[in-house]
Amino acid sequence: MNSLRWPQNARCAVVVTVDFNDEHGILTQEPRIAGREKSLSVWRYGAKRGVDRVLDALEEFDVRSSWFVPGRVAETHAELVKRIDAQKHEIGNSGYRCEDFDTLTLDTQKDAFRAGQAALEQVLGRRAQGFRSFIGNWAPGFADFLRDEGVTWSSSWRGDDLPYFHLPDTDGARTTPPLVELPLHYELEDEPYFAYNLSPAVPVGQPRIPSYREVLANWKHDFAAFHRFGLCFVLRLHPEIIGTAGRIDVLRELLADMRTRDDIWFATGAEMAAWWQQNVDGNEPGHPVEVYARHRQEAQ
Amino acid sequence: MPATDMNPDAPRWPEGNRSCVALAFDLDGPTGDAMLDSSIWNNPSYFTLGSYGPWRALGRLLDMLADRKVPATFFVPAWVVENWPKQCAAIVERGHEIGYHGYRHEAFWTLDRDGQRAVMERSAEVFDKYLGIRPVGFRTPSGDWGPDTIRVLMEAGVRYSSSMRGDDRPYLLHAPGIAEPMVEIPGRWEMDDYASLAYHRNPNFPASLDRIASYDTTLDNWQREFDGSHRDGLCLTTLFHPKVSGKPGRIALLESLIDHMHAQGGVWFATCRGVAQWWLDSHASPTPQEARR
Repeated sequence: MNSLRWPQNARCAVVVTVDFNDEHGILTQEPRIAGREKSLSVWRYGAKRGVDRVLDALEEFDVRSSWFVPGRVAETHAELVKRIDAQKHEIGNSGYRCEDFDTLTLDTQKDAFRAGQAALEQVLGRRAQGFRSFIGNWAPGFADFLRDEGVTWSSSWRGDDLPYFHLPDTDGARTTPPLVELPLHYELEDEPYFAYNLSPAVPVGQPRIPSYREVLANWKHDFAAFHRFGLCFVLRLHPEIIGTAGRIDVLRELLADMRTRDDIWFATGAEMAAWWQQNVDGNEPGHPVEVYARHRQEAQ
Repeated sequence: MPATDMNPDAPRWPEGNRSCVALAFDLDGPTGDAMLDSSIWNNPSYFTLGSYGPWRALGRLLDMLADRKVPATFFVPAWVVENWPKQCAAIVERGHEIGYHGYRHEAFWTLDRDGQRAVMERSAEVFDKYLGIRPVGFRTPSGDWGPDTIRVLMEAGVRYSSSMRGDDRPYLLHAPGIAEPMVEIPGRWEMDDYASLAYHRNPNFPASLDRIASYDTTLDNWQREFDGSHRDGLCLTTLFHPKVSGKPGRIALLESLIDHMHAQGGVWFATCRGVAQWWLDSHASPTPQEARR
């Protein structure tokens, strides 16, 4: 696959994703934070200031991105969500309030997705094409459900540096194209590097806030390598984390570094999924998603 | 590096080389605790994270090693060979060594003698069936073994281990009642990429969710470890993991590290098997002190 050529004859593809979870992501991740206003305000900062800074940075470098907005946030921050949409960014579904799918059944996972879609449709007048599981997993059958709901892509799983196809995991013929996965990499996410709260402790072991300069250097190394090998660089950001006055420049410098090259295809998730569906026949043999499906069935 | 006289106690290496580097990778894939307790079959995000090693990282690492003309040893749980046989065959085809690393990355110190034997037997069958090889090296998954382990390994045909941490050069181990010694090639946490670069959630690593370290300072640490090992004429092995330091952005760290080693001159790059054979040949009669270690 090293000879893969992206649209516009690009050598490397970049998909910028932004999780606008407001307080709901951290409430799922660290339930002890409920009712603690000071701590919750760390995450509410995204709506207050971070979203605007991230939008400005993306505008400055002419990058269209894909945002994931849980349904509850679309309800509480409708004007902000409409503004993201008006600036031609894609808006995807992350459930109704960043539910932990590991604790839900297939049916309640579907309920969370539907509640999210209803809220997004209410605000935007259309349904999301992209989905991100907050915790990264879902129950067998959920990928087929997403297809049936008109979702074309997910960015939840890992294991590759190119997109891949989820396998059908329930019986029955489908006319819709397979669900495309845009796999994640922890080193391309802002949250593992920068999330911080004193009490309840986030991250759990109270590590230091790292050097911004070194994180930027890591990201530049990562991007240079994705470019070198011709891969799909999926960046995952959070407005309350990268959208601070000091850290937005880390993002700006990274985007500026990307823009020094003229062979990068910046795509939204939906654009990438459409291109992958049209140009790639299927997963290469032995793909992790296939190995997983085979063994999971044996383990049941 | 300042010119220093070699310590007369420093080990000797082939062809008058000053020090030895035995690059080694643990190709764990998705094996490990979550597979042993079956929780991984409800955790596709974690399964795919681990699978990245054999699926994508390995091929690029093999290209990198070929470009730099250095051999390496890959310690591979046999389950990974069963599921990615073509990728694992490339390790052998491209001139590298494969060693035992459990079937699904079992912690040997938690298994009784029969349990350890069963893992070794099953692994040997897989290596023979898929790759046509009989490994002689072993790195114990999780780094600990039990009182029975050395005998189980000797009986399984293992002639060296790279499991311990307590020295910076090889030494000989003796199983009770077996005349032939086993060579131990100890590694160091400082040269384990998990200690600086690995990160995952659900399950969490590190448990504290401490940050991924700076690539630049990690490379500087690794180069300093090599510089000291080279100055003192020692044997440096690595505990690198394709799914960690074979990620795209980290390949360049390994390239820089190996280029730095090459630039010093006088480095004997060998597989762990080669190191073990050299050590056995040049330490045929172990001293009582070594025998006790």
